[in-house]
Amino acid sequence: MLGYIWQYVYSSFLRYWLKWVVRQVSGKCELQRICAGFQPGSTRTSKTEYSLQFSKNKVLRGSLQTSRDSLEQCVDHIVQAKNVKPQKDPLFRKSLHTCLLQITGYAGLYTCVEDLRKETFSSDNMEHEDMLLKLWKLLMPTVKLESRVTKQWGDIGFQGDDPKTDFRGMGMLGLTNLVFFSEHYTEEARQVLSHANHPQLGYSYAIVGINLTEMAYSLLKSGDLKPHFYNTVTGNPELLHFHHLYCYLAYEFDKFWVASKPQSIMEFNHYREKFHSQVKISLQEPGVALTLTVSSEH
Amino acid sequence: MGLLTILKKMKHKEREMRLLMLGLDNAGKTTILKKFNGEDISTISPTLGFNIKTLEHRGFKLNIWDVGGQKSLRSYWRNYFESTDGLVWVVDSADRLRLDDCKRELSSLLQEERLAGATLLVFANKQDLPGALSKEAIGEAMGLDDIKTHHWCIMGCSAVTGENLLSGVDWLLDDIAARVFTAD
Repeated sequence: MLGYIWQYVYSSFLRYWLKWVVRQVSGKCELQRICAGFQPGSTRTSKTEYSLQFSKNKVLRGSLQTSRDSLEQCVDHIVQAKNVKPQKDPLFRKSLHTCLLQITGYAGLYTCVEDLRKETFSSDNMEHEDMLLKLWKLLMPTVKLESRVTKQWGDIGFQGDDPKTDFRGMGMLGLTNLVFFSEHYTEEARQVLSHANHPQLGYSYAIVGINLTEMAYSLLKSGDLKPHFYNTVTGNPELLHFHHLYCYLAYEFDKFWVASKPQSIMEFNHYREKFHSQVKISLQEPGVALTLTVSSEH
Repeated sequence: MGLLTILKKMKHKEREMRLLMLGLDNAGKTTILKKFNGEDISTISPTLGFNIKTLEHRGFKLNIWDVGGQKSLRSYWRNYFESTDGLVWVVDSADRLRLDDCKRELSSLLQEERLAGATLLVFANKQDLPGALSKEAIGEAMGLDDIKTHHWCIMGCSAVTGENLLSGVDWLLDDIAARVFTAD
C-alpha cells in the first residue's frame, strides 16, 4: 500500500520537481543527461523511452509514435521544445535520433512480424509451396521428396503427411523462421536436426521450431526483447533481425534440451518453460545480446 | 483433525474430476481447452507433450489433460489413462481423409481397461468450416451406435466460435456426477 502511495507521489510530483532542480543546477534537460551519461545501447535507449513516455510535453510523448519518415523533423521539434543549443551539446541530436529510431523501429518490427504471422499457409500460393519444398531441400539435400503429401515430412519433424496444418497460429512466420535458419546456418540447422532425430533424446524438429517461433513472437509482443534489439541493432530493427533471434533460440534450445537429458518428448512443455525463463532472465541484463555465434558463418 | 475437516476434505475430493482430451493432431484439442478457459486462441502452435489446466466449473474442480495427437505421441497416451472420469474425443469434422484413422484410434481406446469406467464425449469440432461433416455423419463414421461399454454423447462444436463447448462439458459433468457422486 505504502509502495503504491510512494509510486503515485513520485511519478506525479516528485519526479518533476527533482527534474526541475537538476535541470537548474546542471543546465541540461533529462534527455540530454541520458544521452550524454550512458553508452549507446539498451540502457540509454530504455531510459530515453521512459523519459519520453512520462513527459508532460505532448511533442515528447508523441515522438514515440512517429513514423520513420518524419523522425528527423520530430527530433528537431524536441530539440526546440527542450531549448537545446546545438553548439553546447553537439552530440545530442544524433544520439536522440538513434534512440528514437530504435524505439519506433521496435513497434514497426512488431507490426511486420504480426503481419507475417497472420498470413496463413496456403497450398494454392506457389510462393508458400516453394518455401516448404526449399526447407526440405536445405535440410535433406540427399533425399528426394517422393510427393508433396508424404510420410517423409515426419523426418524433419512435422506431425503428419502434409505440413500445412502445423503452421496454425504462427502462419508464414513459422515457415519463414524455419527456412531462414536452414539457409543462413545450414550446418547448425542440420546438426540440430540430427539431434532431433536421436532415438532417445529426439524431438520433432519442425514442431519444436514452430513452438520457438511462438516464444520469440510472444517475447517481442511483451516488449521483453527491447534490450536485445537496442543493444544489437543501431538503426531500426527489421524482420531479418527477428529471424536471427529465432536462430539463436533454435540453436540454444537444442543445446539446452540435449544437456537436460529429458526422459521423453512428453516433458517438452516443462523444458520449454525452463528455457523460456532462462531467456527472460538474460534479457534483464543491460548488456544482453542474444546472437548465435558459430565458428564459421555461412 | 476434526470431523468437519475430514468431511470437508472428502467433499472437496469428491467434486474433483479428471478429464482426458485426446484425438488426432490438428483436431483442435488445445484450442478447445483454451477457448473454454477464456484464453486467446489466435497464436496456438502444435502441442508436443501435454497441457494441463485446472479450472472451476459449476462447483466442480476440473483437471483437464490435453495430450498431443501426432502419431509419434500416441503411444504415450496410455500414461494418462489412470483414474480418468471423462474422455473427450475431438474430431476435425473437415478432415474426411483421416476419419478411418480417427475411428481406429477411438476404438482401441475404448478397449482399454483403465478407461472402462469413463464417460465419452465426442466433439465433432470445426463446424464453422464450410467443408465440415455434420455431427450425425461423424457419429456414423466413428461407429458410435455400436458402443455399448461406455456412456457416450456427440456434440457438433466449434472451438473458434465457442459454439456448444459449454453444453458438451455440461453433459459430461452431469453424466459423471450421476455415476460417481450419487452412486454411493
